[in-house]
Amino acid sequence: MSTEVPYTISVPESKLDILRQKLALVEFPDELENSQWNYGVPLADIKRLVARWKDGYDWRAEESKLNKDLPQFTRDIDVDGFETLNIHYVHQKSPVTNAIPLLFVHGWPGNFIEVRKILPLLLQSSPQFPSFHVVAFSLPGYGFSEGSHKTGFAAEQYAEVAHKLMLSLGYNEYVTQGGDWGFLITRIIAQKYGGKHSKAWHTNFPVGTPLQFSSNPILYLKHLVTPYTEAEKAGIERSKWFVKEGRGYHEEQATKPQTLGYSLADSPVGLLAWIYEKLVTWTDSYPWTDDEVLTWISIFYFSRAGPAASVRIYYEVMHSKGFLQSPSLKPTIPLGVSHFPNELRITPKKFDHNVGKLVFQAEHSSGGHFAAYERPEELVGDLRKMFGKKGPAFGVVPGKNGYEEKVIANL
Amino acid sequence: MSSFKIAISSAALSALKNRLESTRFPDELDDSGWEYGVPLADIKRLVARWRDGFDWRQEEQKLNNELPQYTREIEVDGFGVLDVHYVHKKSESGQGIPLLFSHGWPGSFLESRKIIPLLTKGSGGDPVFDVVAISLPGFGFSEGPKKKGFSLSQYAEVAHKLMLALGYTEYVTQGGDIGFRITAEMARRYGGEHSKAWHTNVIYSPPPENDDPSSYTASEKEGLARGEEFQRSGSGYLIQQSTKPQTLGYSLADSPVGLLAWIYEKLVAWSDNYPWTDDEVLTWVSIYWFSRAGPAASIRFYYEFAHSGQGFGTRSSQAVPTIPMGCSLFPKELVRIPKSWYPSVGNVVFEAEHDSGGHFAAHEEPELLVGDLRKMFGKGGPAFGVVPGRSGYID
Repeated sequence: MSTEVPYTISVPESKLDILRQKLALVEFPDELENSQWNYGVPLADIKRLVARWKDGYDWRAEESKLNKDLPQFTRDIDVDGFETLNIHYVHQKSPVTNAIPLLFVHGWPGNFIEVRKILPLLLQSSPQFPSFHVVAFSLPGYGFSEGSHKTGFAAEQYAEVAHKLMLSLGYNEYVTQGGDWGFLITRIIAQKYGGKHSKAWHTNFPVGTPLQFSSNPILYLKHLVTPYTEAEKAGIERSKWFVKEGRGYHEEQATKPQTLGYSLADSPVGLLAWIYEKLVTWTDSYPWTDDEVLTWISIFYFSRAGPAASVRIYYEVMHSKGFLQSPSLKPTIPLGVSHFPNELRITPKKFDHNVGKLVFQAEHSSGGHFAAYERPEELVGDLRKMFGKKGPAFGVVPGKNGYEEKVIANL
Repeated sequence: MSSFKIAISSAALSALKNRLESTRFPDELDDSGWEYGVPLADIKRLVARWRDGFDWRQEEQKLNNELPQYTREIEVDGFGVLDVHYVHKKSESGQGIPLLFSHGWPGSFLESRKIIPLLTKGSGGDPVFDVVAISLPGFGFSEGPKKKGFSLSQYAEVAHKLMLALGYTEYVTQGGDIGFRITAEMARRYGGEHSKAWHTNVIYSPPPENDDPSSYTASEKEGLARGEEFQRSGSGYLIQQSTKPQTLGYSLADSPVGLLAWIYEKLVAWSDNYPWTDDEVLTWVSIYWFSRAGPAASIRFYYEFAHSGQGFGTRSSQAVPTIPMGCSLFPKELVRIPKSWYPSVGNVVFEAEHDSGGHFAAHEEPELLVGDLRKMFGKGGPAFGVVPGRSGYID
């Protein structure tokens, strides 16, 4: 394992100047009366956020906090058929020597900052629950990772980067946690590297496919006769809302990401609105502070590959074969699922069995799409249950069960 | 009613130049062509021209010279008064068939520029027209509505009331893109008594209940395949605009390059190898940038229409208009539906099919489009004399 190259976020002053200049020249549209959130982000929210971003918001202070809270590094990773990409990641080892190596994979419009709250919890050492060594990388094209300049960089490539990163850190065997694109990426990791390297996977975005009689007759029949729970019914309504009212970003990003990219690269307020809309509508009344939002957006604005790069994943995945999630391609390693009510696509719990080899399932009464950020205690609680001494995935990584070894002194 | 001349302030012009000067460009994937959206080289070239070289004042003057423009207040039930901008050119004889021309998105009144001289001046046996080219509310130099719910019926109401205000109690219409939908609504609401016939360069319709796919001809199959391709790879803008127009609006209002890319992508993708000059594109996009209601307003049509119950893909529960309908088919239009679907759309008495031209028919193929209108409304045509006393000929 080669030595780690530490990384300190240090956005050049020139970039901050450009941002300030652009914010000073912002042109706002008008808004229809009483339109609230129906047509998109309300004008009052955007005006308030822009005013703060211009005066008051202190990027340098936030940058400093990020550098302090999150030990960051970069490393070159070769991607087969593509370039060598310099990958940015957070890495922190637990004080517990035999902690479970865990890879956290974000999605869109997420980024490495989503590990911020779960990191200290995962690292905690206790006889009551397991501890983890944590790796949270910036997907290529996000945060401070380079993006590929070649077409066709799809889910398999993201999975390859993730896997190679873990190997390069000496984690030959590991587990994963992912939501949004992280779900698909960790599923591919489980398919391609599962068993030998990836030992178990956990997701908060289990996009299950309907059960089929042929593959699971008992469960299929059970599903037919069991009425949906209230939570499942609410989930189905939420999913319908998402499909009817919330998919515009997806359709554009999956078909014309470059066209959209001109706006995202040139207009900080355009980028702010585009992402902030999701931060609010995809979470469960999370009490975002303005500075929290602005830090999140700034990571996109100051990203190494630029704001237009992050949306290309939609195009690439939709145009590649790796997108299909056939039940017959189910990974065989143990799967854990956590359900949060304000997730975007909510499929009945029984469908989780089509996602993978389900060994752990939890349901929560609050929380949304950004589970690690909104409900860090609950998410980590689930991981502790899944991987803990009484859990179904205890000891999946040989020699690294997450607990301090009791050393009995030779008296 | 007042006569109107486009006169963008110098402050607005220098503000635009300022923003263009501070444009930040994204990168681009190698060899991505047009697959991912507008190529970077095109955008860089257009921005450079827009910043230095493109002469808006000259274009503005040309427009003012060519197109007699006016504004007029129109009261819209439940929405108050809107100041509506339009072009109005009477035929040389002054007894032309009154024709309302409705643009769509991302079009504008500009699309009437080439057809107006042809429509108002016939030669020999051609009928002539009095042309009214409206700027739809929220587009061009028309005010936009301030309240929610300004949908198809309101757009139709505005266009209809404008014609009445001009003394045209009976008229015909021509429209494409959302202009198809608006003129269809006019045909439903005002057809017979006021709207006497309608012509479109596209027909959108879901399949009728008694649809029989085995009856489709080869070109109908090709036309439907075009429609499916549009849905699959070209309708991202439509879904976004139909669901979260305000979110998108922040970009369009703040970023000239963002607006340029958003519109230019369609100008190229939807036309039939039309040889756009940079200045042509920039004039087109400048109308959006300098529009009275701002660039974020025009896209609200999509949201209102999609949420009105009559939205995209839904079968209209209202009666099919009975007035004569004509349609011109161009090969690069976004979709072409089978003839067997026509009865669920209108009373098609005229149809013409062409070998060239796309979505922006009036701009790309003005001669062909006007030729069709002349055939439809001229002596011997299926809609000859629909407007009593205004046959388009000097009697």
